[in-house]
Amino acid sequence: MPTEDDLFEKLRIELRRGSLILAVLGALRVERYGYTLRQSLEDAGLPIEESALYPLLRRLETQGLLTSEWREEAKRNKRFYRLSPDGEAILAQLLGEWNAISDSILRLTEGNEQ
Amino acid sequence: MTNLQERYLHAVRWALPAAKADDIVAELRDILTSRQEDREEELGRPLTSEETSAILKEFGHPLIVAGRYRPQQWLIGPDVFPFYFFVLRIVVLISVGIQIAIAAARMVFGDGRPLQIIGQSWGGLWMSLIISMGVVTIVFAVMERAGFPGDHIRRWTPEQLPDVRDKRKSVWESAFELAAGIIFLLWWAGIVYLPIPTGGAAFRMEAAPIFTQLYWPIFALVAVRLVDNLIEWVRPRWTLVRSILTAGTTIAGLALLALIYRAGQWATIVSAGMPADKVVQLSQAVNLSLKIAIVVTGVVWTWQAVVVLWRLLLRGRQRDA
Repeated sequence: MPTEDDLFEKLRIELRRGSLILAVLGALRVERYGYTLRQSLEDAGLPIEESALYPLLRRLETQGLLTSEWREEAKRNKRFYRLSPDGEAILAQLLGEWNAISDSILRLTEGNEQ
Repeated sequence: MTNLQERYLHAVRWALPAAKADDIVAELRDILTSRQEDREEELGRPLTSEETSAILKEFGHPLIVAGRYRPQQWLIGPDVFPFYFFVLRIVVLISVGIQIAIAAARMVFGDGRPLQIIGQSWGGLWMSLIISMGVVTIVFAVMERAGFPGDHIRRWTPEQLPDVRDKRKSVWESAFELAAGIIFLLWWAGIVYLPIPTGGAAFRMEAAPIFTQLYWPIFALVAVRLVDNLIEWVRPRWTLVRSILTAGTTIAGLALLALIYRAGQWATIVSAGMPADKVVQLSQAVNLSLKIAIVVTGVVWTWQAVVVLWRLLLRGRQRDA
């Protein structure tokens, strides 16, 4: 039987899963390559598994939300990603949705506390 | 770049989609090298083999890393799974029903020792379960890739659901009926031999020529009834199809019964040492019993047909209202 900590961890991962896409899109308003993107997410308090992040970048690019190009930096070829115009529009919509959900949750939980 | 890292990237490449493998491996190589260099800068020395191994282990198992780049992340997804499980349950029950019916028939007719029959049926049961589950899984995996159940869910309406008052047959009852029908067809076609006792030491009982003349009509009738049973079970709301099948098979069944009745003789007693007068008496007794059975079957079928057609008619009217 799962302990309370296990259950919390499972629910926390579920909660974070959807928000990570939002975080990745938000972070890529500035051009970054995979490794520095992961570091910036970690610095912002949203660490993400590398084996999940890089396939996610590819998927978002296939969906037209990101663009990428190979460029040399520090004597090595790196793949740089940034938000596409379509990605910017979707990010704006998702942020609106995120804020609406956040407001709703706050209203519901504040109501329960009274 | 270490030998260990190259081995790791080779293992990842092996499981990647071929068209993108070079590009993805190049990116992963850069990421792993960056991680290694950062770590070396922290420590102020080159990494040991164990430390490189720890970085790769933390990055993830090659199959998992590569698998996440595939567009298809599952064989049967959560949308298809309820349909898959529903069909799988039906197919498994039919397989089990057929195996039990065959085993029971073999025991009743003494086709081998009981323990031998149980042993053979047990093996046959597992084989048929593995094959049927495999086939259903492959079919649904293909349907998953083809976009099922998108259209099905769009076209679905609550009116298609069966009525609550419908007294549906239990799954086991339906499975048994289907199995019995299939066994009859196999026996009728001569594919399966059931040692039905047709005589004793002094005589032999043979079917009358009418059954040879009506071989194909009887085969077709039982086959269509099987389809009707299957539809009644899995698609109870297909009332039009069921009305046609039920009415058609009932009329055809009664017509066949009338032809059989008109033949006047349904079994022939062939003597194997029995006195002639005894043969005549036995033949009369057997044929009289069969005559009664045919008449009773005709009455029961007519009554069942009236009830079924009346119910279908009522349901159709209620749906139209």
